[in-house]
Amino acid sequence: MIQDRKALIGRVLPPFSYVIDAENVHDYLRVTDEDLATYRDAGSSRAAGYDRHVIPPSFAPWIALSALLRSIDWERDFYLDYRIGTLMFGEQEMRYARPLYVGESLIFTANVLDVIEKRGSRAFDVVTIGYDAADNRGAVVLSGACGFILFK
Amino acid sequence: MDRRKKAFFEDLTPGMEIPSASYGPMDRNGYITTAIILRNGNPLHLDRVYARDRGLPDVVQQGPLNQSYLYRFLTDWLHRPWDLRSTKIRFVANVFPDDILSCCGTVLRTWRERGEALVDCSIWQENQKGEKTLVGEATFALPERK
Repeated sequence: MIQDRKALIGRVLPPFSYVIDAENVHDYLRVTDEDLATYRDAGSSRAAGYDRHVIPPSFAPWIALSALLRSIDWERDFYLDYRIGTLMFGEQEMRYARPLYVGESLIFTANVLDVIEKRGSRAFDVVTIGYDAADNRGAVVLSGACGFILFK
Repeated sequence: MDRRKKAFFEDLTPGMEIPSASYGPMDRNGYITTAIILRNGNPLHLDRVYARDRGLPDVVQQGPLNQSYLYRFLTDWLHRPWDLRSTKIRFVANVFPDDILSCCGTVLRTWRERGEALVDCSIWQENQKGEKTLVGEATFALPERK
């Protein structure tokens, strides 16, 4: 019996620290074939007008999702039973305040904005989680929301 | 290397198309690395039997990976990739190994705020069968000619 996830609306998730790891960025560039010289190293980034080794904007959604996925226990907090249920991404909204750099540490704070129950061929919930990511000076550098689809 | 001609703010008007770009075929060998980076070991992306048990033809490519190509379509075309200001993207269909993804966009609005020349656009991604896989909107800044 799946519990009603609407009771989760408003829940504040534990803050999570995410360090933009150089090896992850390197692997990401390889997987996606992102070949723009700007992302190659610090020197190339500076030549393109950035302060230091910049990441591709396309990696920012990965950071947000990865941070959220690390701070959420879907089975414990959202009653997802992987034996019968499935988790998928539904929607992602992002706002970028400034470029993000390799090596910097971000603190994510997130809360459950909404839970909507829907029914197609199978019943599912759309869980929307809003988040802010702040740098080491406390400035919000990235914010947005992720919608996750939890099939029942 | 992206060879599309870059635009300036004055070049764009509502209804204009952003030059499209295609990527692929998608490679399942990248899904393990993607799972490691995301720390998301959902078997739907890695285990063919698990996916087929759920009525799918193959493993499903991770959504963030699909999204990366739609971002890249925009940011490779911009004069500076971090001129991207915001995005809102909805996942509407699964992407599978060997799919080829075409990314497209249309200008919705050009406007200025705090001295910055901004463009709103609708963006989408479709597979080789013409089925949309991602739909959304984005806002980015563009330099002006003057």
